[in-house]
Amino acid sequence: MDDTFLVARVVAQQDAGAFGELVRRHQSQVRNFLRKLTRDVDAADDLAQEAFLHAWDRLHTYVGHGSFIGWLLKVAYTTFLQSKRKSKRYRDVLEQVAVEAGDPAHHSESSDISDLDKFLAVLTEEERAVMIMSYACGLSHREIGDATNQPVGTVKSIIFRGKQKIRDSFGIEDHKYG
Amino acid sequence: MESKIINMVERIRDSEDRKLQALFASAPIEDDGFSRRVMARVRRQILVQRFALPVAFVVGAAIAAKPVSQLIQALYALLKFIPQTLASNIGASPLAQVPQLSTIVLGGTLLMAVLMFGKLTRR
Repeated sequence: MDDTFLVARVVAQQDAGAFGELVRRHQSQVRNFLRKLTRDVDAADDLAQEAFLHAWDRLHTYVGHGSFIGWLLKVAYTTFLQSKRKSKRYRDVLEQVAVEAGDPAHHSESSDISDLDKFLAVLTEEERAVMIMSYACGLSHREIGDATNQPVGTVKSIIFRGKQKIRDSFGIEDHKYG
Repeated sequence: MESKIINMVERIRDSEDRKLQALFASAPIEDDGFSRRVMARVRRQILVQRFALPVAFVVGAAIAAKPVSQLIQALYALLKFIPQTLASNIGASPLAQVPQLSTIVLGGTLLMAVLMFGKLTRR
């Protein structure tokens, strides 16, 4: 059964079993998206639960344009934006990255911070979300546009800007990441 | 057709994109009871939605029943009273029989609160 069929069953019959199947199918991507966005496993999983509850309430608004996971990530992103517990972890990472930039000796002490953490830390919240949707979740530019309420052209320029920031912040040349 | 071409163009990513994709990649998260927890909350919400409105109606009706019946009685008495006394005595108005304003306000407020609670829990 494809996602659209399950959505139709949920909307038409309030079929909790069909919704459960949708949750099982997509929980990994939604949790991964929120974990990357918040860099906090517990907060991300709490937000993911909230996101699925919002999805249950608003499922009738999914009309089949674009993929269901794109719609679900839109709900997750909105839930994240509405949450008051946004990403203390990123402030910590930003501080640590700033310290490292000034004092290379600090570098070895901060091994708990991954390259991805550092790259994401230089991006704005919006850039982070768009980059994660594009590179981690594999959404098309159009789906990202739908999820973030941005035109496709703006999505492309956000990605371009994000990549540029990462290159500039870490002195990366010739696309050498990691 | 156009969207297929757009998707193909988007999929042709350069080496920088591929490296970023590798950097962002992560293993799928196993369902460690997450979907069970979500479904438990969904079922609770369904239950609340199913019972909130009838309960709110019953509670609201119970609270409003007495003031409403008093109001109806008072209006009935007033309607009977007005034609008889228009010519003679206006001073003996049965206004004392009208329910206290505070009772009506309290009943109405409680009814609104219960209805709002029902609506909130539905969300």
